[in-house]
Amino acid sequence: MQKHSIIGVFDDEDQLVQALHSLKEHKVRVEEVYTPYPVHPVFGILDRKTSFTWWAFLYGLMAVIGVLSFLYYTAVIDWPLNFGGKPTNAFPSFIVITIILTILSITILSLFTFSVIAGVYPGKPARMPDIRATDDKFIVMIDPENAGKPIQEVNQVLTSNGASEVYEKESELSN
Amino acid sequence: MDTKINLNSRFKTACYLLIIIGLITFSYGFFKNPGQTWANLLLNNYYFLSLAIGATFFMALQYITQSGWSAMFKRVPEAMGFFIPVAAVFMLLTYFGVSHLYEWTHKDAIQTDEAVIHKLPYLNLPFFFIRIVVYFSLWILMTTLLRKLSHKEDLVGGISWFERSEFYSKVYIFILAITFSLASFDWIMSLDVHWLSTLFAVKNFVTAFYHGTAVITLIVILLHEKGCYKELNSSHLLDFSRYLFMLSIIWGYLWFSQFMLIWYSNLPEETIYYARQIREGYRVLFFVNVFINWFIPFILLLARRMDQKIMVVKWICIILIFGQWIDMYTQVFPGTVGKSSFSLLEIGCFLGFAGLFALVTGWGLTRASLVPKNHPYLDESLYHHVE
Repeated sequence: MQKHSIIGVFDDEDQLVQALHSLKEHKVRVEEVYTPYPVHPVFGILDRKTSFTWWAFLYGLMAVIGVLSFLYYTAVIDWPLNFGGKPTNAFPSFIVITIILTILSITILSLFTFSVIAGVYPGKPARMPDIRATDDKFIVMIDPENAGKPIQEVNQVLTSNGASEVYEKESELSN
Repeated sequence: MDTKINLNSRFKTACYLLIIIGLITFSYGFFKNPGQTWANLLLNNYYFLSLAIGATFFMALQYITQSGWSAMFKRVPEAMGFFIPVAAVFMLLTYFGVSHLYEWTHKDAIQTDEAVIHKLPYLNLPFFFIRIVVYFSLWILMTTLLRKLSHKEDLVGGISWFERSEFYSKVYIFILAITFSLASFDWIMSLDVHWLSTLFAVKNFVTAFYHGTAVITLIVILLHEKGCYKELNSSHLLDFSRYLFMLSIIWGYLWFSQFMLIWYSNLPEETIYYARQIREGYRVLFFVNVFINWFIPFILLLARRMDQKIMVVKWICIILIFGQWIDMYTQVFPGTVGKSSFSLLEIGCFLGFAGLFALVTGWGLTRASLVPKNHPYLDESLYHHVE
């Protein structure tokens, strides 16, 4: 199935941000924005919410509890050994391992969570409406059916905010 | 736009009142319990000196990293730097109290104690005071130079002042790395002359940087509430609280490293330091120290939404003021007073020094316009916006 979309190309970060503000004022729904590097305001303007940080925090909490109880189980309950007269529950020395394993757990689990949320996996073809977004252009993608405004008005808003190019494109919905 | 401020009479009266309370407490203390009073003098003087050092380090770091966001707040750390000469006076005054503070000045220790004899080439009174003079003259020289350049920039304008400030900031942090490390060895670590920790200097330096930043943030927020710094927005707050968050982690890391290494290696001459803290009435403070200085800022500033709430950041800074006092208290008191003791003496001495610090910093803030005029990054700071 083919999907129709309006592509706005910007040369400059500030123009992009301005255009997004303007589109928001005109109540045009922006489907996606592609930039060569992270542009922080975009996230706020598009009103995207993410629960990612909470997941990361949850993983960290789980890892701390899990690692500490594992260390307690191995060192105190299951196989108590005497290391240089230290108490078997050598809590301060557990901390270092806990920090390392917590960071590892958060990193790996966050990676998987990100893959699930963003729907990316190894070997997935890149979904890129305009390849120049990997170079020096800022791409705004709008679905004319969901935009809530006629195509002419959307085009007008994009060009009046300094879009260097506005064109329409058919792309595969699946990728 | 001129943004010079004046101290109102209420602020000045409050400061003088606090200083008078401090004077009364000190004179009563010297009469009643000189040992503990000298310990208080050292504690509070070192406390506020480290705030000033931490603040000037913060300022130097902003020049070196060419940070834009903080440009309009740079008068605050500059003003805090005015406390360094005041601290120098009090540090030199400890000449009259060295026998109360430092065991290595005692006659019998110099003759019989092998550890003290071994350290005598470094820890002896003439060299100790020569070092104090050297440290303070270097700090005063560098901070005055940076302040002069900053004020010149206001009057004349141009990029050259900023470039020179950046160069001297590099010199300053290099000097600071050596002198402040040695200073914390000299003044605080030598209170327990038989004990040593190689992490002591860096931990104290990070404490200074951490709490210096907290006090800068607090002053900026208070000035914002009084109507200055109208441009302060959530992006600035985010940057300030990111500093606090990052430093709380480093502080916790270094505190724990020092403790863990000593606990694990289990050498009697090292463990005595912590064993005494835990056995002689510092047990609660020992844990409260970590809780206040690491846990509270770490947990509260973890979420981005909390970082940008002005009240949260303000109260964390206020809590950190107490946090640093507890940190210093557990470092100074076991070696000087011995048993933990907390009385009106401690409160009065702290209030006196707090009044003096507030007065000196407030006076420093009135010396130049609050928002610098020709700083190259000023616009970036005024319209700082991350999202």
